Amino acid sequence: MKNPMSRYRFMSIACGITLLLLIFVYMPAQHIFDAFDENSRWKYFSFFHGYLYIVYMLTVLQVGVQKGMALKRMALLILAGTIPFASFIAERKIVKEYS
Amino acid sequence: MKTAAIAKKIVQALTVLALAGIFFSLGMWQLDRAQEMSAADKSEAVQDQRVYNLSDLTTSTGALPVGAFGKTVAATGHYIANYKAPNQVALDGSVDDWEVALMQVDSASAILVVRGLWSQRLISPDIVMATEVSITGTIYPHQIEDRALNTSAQISRLDSSLITGTTDLQLYDGFISATSESYRAGIVERARLAMAIPQGGIPGYYWQHISYVVIWWLMAALVLWAPFYRRKED
Repeated sequence: MKNPMSRYRFMSIACGITLLLLIFVYMPAQHIFDAFDENSRWKYFSFFHGYLYIVYMLTVLQVGVQKGMALKRMALLILAGTIPFASFIAERKIVKEYS
Repeated sequence: MKTAAIAKKIVQALTVLALAGIFFSLGMWQLDRAQEMSAADKSEAVQDQRVYNLSDLTTSTGALPVGAFGKTVAATGHYIANYKAPNQVALDGSVDDWEVALMQVDSASAILVVRGLWSQRLISPDIVMATEVSITGTIYPHQIEDRALNTSAQISRLDSSLITGTTDLQLYDGFISATSESYRAGIVERARLAMAIPQGGIPGYYWQHISYVVIWWLMAALVLWAPFYRRKED
């Protein structure tokens, strides 16, 4: 991961996977099945994703500035990190366009 | 034309500053919550042994403050109504029906008091409405989940909002679980009940709130940086 594009690709995939786990595994387990007690380490999963998202944002900014992207496009890429599957689709498009 | 351009720039600058201010304030709000959470954790670690007057901790017109949860309070008044609270769970896990009384503490307000087990309600039959009773006990926030049906003789949960229609008095939020009761004839000897003290009202974790602080302030920084960003020309 020596260049911003590799870092962005890695973070978009990592962030996308943790978001899917958060929405489709962690949240149903927590709120529907009440699977985690007060001291469960899984409680930390949600804000692990939060910190990962911060790093994702920074990688988007780095690759965005390096490639001279429009602000709107950078904002959309940042937003893609919050929508299931969107970061994967965005990553494919960005790689196709800028690699 | 020049004036219009300047006005546009001013509007843009004000918008950027307003947005950055909003994001910064949201970060400050989350920082406050993180600090409140940290302070609450520390205060839980140090058990407060002081006995407070009820009026020192709360009022009959507002919600019970989080900081009051689990504190020891003293109150004096008259029991003006009695209720059965079925299926209550004590700290040791035992499930029983409890005796709950409404204590009028002054001319205008009253609070629910858990006196003990329903099965022991006849231990002190000489306590009537005219009897002045002094209690010491632990104050808890009102319960949220029903344990039984709500009727005129029983309450489904320990929550004064269930009985507001039965009295003109202002009812305190929360309730006291008495650890001692005394009146003119002496101390009332009966089994006392304790329950788990709910955590404070700030949901989440310290580092969770700190992550929100980072995100909001990063957003503020981005908004301030955006006007200076220039795309690379191909």
